[in-house]
Amino acid sequence: MIRNTRMKRFSIVSVVATVGALVFSTLPAQAADPGVSAKEIVLGYSGPLTGSAGQVYGKLPGAMKAYFDHINANGGVYGRKIKLVVRDDKYLPTLAATQTTNLVLNDKVFALVGALGTATHSKAYAAASLAKKNVPDLFVNTGFSGFADKAKYPTTFTILPSYAMEAKIMAKFIKDTPTLAPQASFLIAQDDEFGVDGVNGFKLAGHTFAAPATLYPQGGLSAALAEGALTKLSAVPGKPVLVLFGTTDSTATILKAAEKLSLVSKFNWIAGSVGGDANTLLALGVKPATINGILAASFFPDAKDATDSYVSAFTSINTKYNKGVSFDNVVLQGMNSAMLTVQSLRAAGKNLTRTGLIKAIESKGAGFASAGLVPLNFSGSSRVGYNGYWFGQLNEKGELKPFGGKLTTYTTDSSSTSAPTASSYERKPVPKNGVPTNS
Amino acid sequence: MLKGSATKKRLFGFIILGWILLLISDRIGELRQYQGAFVAMYTLAIASIILLTGYSGQLSLGHSALMAVGAYAGALSINNFKLHPVIALVIAVLIAGIFGLLLGYAAARLSGPYLAGTTLALAVSLPTIANQFPVLGGEQGLVFDIGTPPARFGEDFSQYQWFFWISCLSALIMIWFLVNLLSSRYGREFRALRDNPTAAQLAGLNIGRQKALAFSLSAGIAGLSGGLLVMLISGVSPSAFPLSLSFLLLAGAVVTGVYSLKGVIIGALVLVAIPEIAESVVSRIGGSEGFTTSLPGFMVSSLLILAVLFAPNGPGHLLHKKSTLNIKDNSREGNK
Repeated sequence: MIRNTRMKRFSIVSVVATVGALVFSTLPAQAADPGVSAKEIVLGYSGPLTGSAGQVYGKLPGAMKAYFDHINANGGVYGRKIKLVVRDDKYLPTLAATQTTNLVLNDKVFALVGALGTATHSKAYAAASLAKKNVPDLFVNTGFSGFADKAKYPTTFTILPSYAMEAKIMAKFIKDTPTLAPQASFLIAQDDEFGVDGVNGFKLAGHTFAAPATLYPQGGLSAALAEGALTKLSAVPGKPVLVLFGTTDSTATILKAAEKLSLVSKFNWIAGSVGGDANTLLALGVKPATINGILAASFFPDAKDATDSYVSAFTSINTKYNKGVSFDNVVLQGMNSAMLTVQSLRAAGKNLTRTGLIKAIESKGAGFASAGLVPLNFSGSSRVGYNGYWFGQLNEKGELKPFGGKLTTYTTDSSSTSAPTASSYERKPVPKNGVPTNS
Repeated sequence: MLKGSATKKRLFGFIILGWILLLISDRIGELRQYQGAFVAMYTLAIASIILLTGYSGQLSLGHSALMAVGAYAGALSINNFKLHPVIALVIAVLIAGIFGLLLGYAAARLSGPYLAGTTLALAVSLPTIANQFPVLGGEQGLVFDIGTPPARFGEDFSQYQWFFWISCLSALIMIWFLVNLLSSRYGREFRALRDNPTAAQLAGLNIGRQKALAFSLSAGIAGLSGGLLVMLISGVSPSAFPLSLSFLLLAGAVVTGVYSLKGVIIGALVLVAIPEIAESVVSRIGGSEGFTTSLPGFMVSSLLILAVLFAPNGPGHLLHKKSTLNIKDNSREGNK
């Protein structure tokens, strides 16, 4: 009897295993270039929607979706509607790897667009075999210069200028500004590719900080750590220059610590482009008086500048298709990436392939219309988007006004010691109705 | 004789299971291969918790830290010494095991909430400690690249199939070892330790040594699981081992039933399947972003409550109970 029971159990296990094998084996075969049909192009986004990074960057996919909805309402791309599949990676490498793999294998996206985060996306790129599968990885929202390595990331195009470029231009700005140059300067930076890239940029520019950089783990800057760092620096005579090279939530933590310690006026604050978004700082509880006077780098027009033609066009689209979401730099960035994506898809032609899309950006990407005030740098040998910055000063309303009243943009590279140069770049006008018609 | 026969049957069973998995791997798509590799990895991680908590009665809330130790050891072996990935995974087991042994001896006098608190503190602090050593790559961590699959498997043999093979084989070997260990003298000693430490001590058991041994074995298995995890995501970094991972594994262990290894795969399947089920629910009924992101957590919580209410010892125990009843029924019928 016992033997019979064991036999039964063995039979059940065998049946379950066989049924499992049959269920697993019924999956359809993969097409050559998934995610594109006569009616639709499926794109994918993996980034933080929840958690502390999600609070700041969670608006990004919504902004891209809104722009794609606008394009779809205007006939799509050569008659194909764009669908964006969004997955939350909570800014964690493990989730980024699995979510990106899911986008490629499960959602069968044609291309990825706007992925955010350096540590997260570098792991996701390898885990999802994006290079081997030739999945276009468009307009990655990180300035890590490593993503420009075409051999390692053959399908990636970044959008932000590299952090090394930003650091080089910051160093020039400090050196050329009479009120800043004589002061001791210090750096508080995120301890990952982001911060390390910045530190390397300052080294390339020959800038020497008065003390080694204060580095903190990604997502790990506590109020206590910020207060400790500021208390230590408050003993430095004069009005030291304090460069903040981290995400906006970290900038907010530092500024709130300065408020608590009454040290806001003690420093000349310089915030990087990633961490200097005024609207987000205000939303995170930083006082308007605190942000007043902060120096910040940007390559975009100010999101509050209603006179800017791109800001005006994107604001209209946001009002119509992204209801209830306020227009800020993150929304501007999302819509701009979406507009570049549409131009890329158009440039690749009606017979859309992954290889064709990559080649189209290489050959025509530098000429795309974009909101950026600095040139796009795409070519056969360059995968870097924007390659420069301008410096402005925030006011209490959160507006970024050109420093000294005149907007001057600088361009540079990520690897040489050559000094940044002033740029005479004039961007293309915004496409009519915000709908590109390039080919 | 009987023991030898049972061990052989067990070995035969695992070989059959391995053969079935080998066949399955050829017939499923890359996504299922990738998910299957995650199931194998979670199976190991949950098994390590069951060994520690269910069999030896020690509660750990910081298993993610033990996984991290193995993962870093494996990554350093590959990056610095150019060792074969299989050897790197063996090193991950050994280093995590040694770390667990030291921790086990240190924590031997602790039990209940005190031990839980100690392991929790370890999980919280280990990522920060990892950031302090440049050799560990700081916040961005280290690459964990096992390279492309051997060319002899052919061009159609994907990276994901390679992951599936390595993960399943690791899980099969380790679970086979664990099942044999737990049905040996050591297993009985662990259970004695769990059920009544004082009685076990009076019976001549060295409580401190047994606790440290259980901790070491559990850490070794967790280290292997950590090595497999970072293989699947191609890199190791502190943020790959958040505290939430420890709680997730504990939830998987409770769903599986912490007192038995039977059905350990169910907990792993739940952890991999829940996000996908949640997505398909959302895509069918729609819902806000908040609903989408909180649904997986809600589903896991519901499953935990159901498990505690209806199968506190896990579904494996239910099956065992049912089959025991059947045997009794059959015996009665036979006696008639």
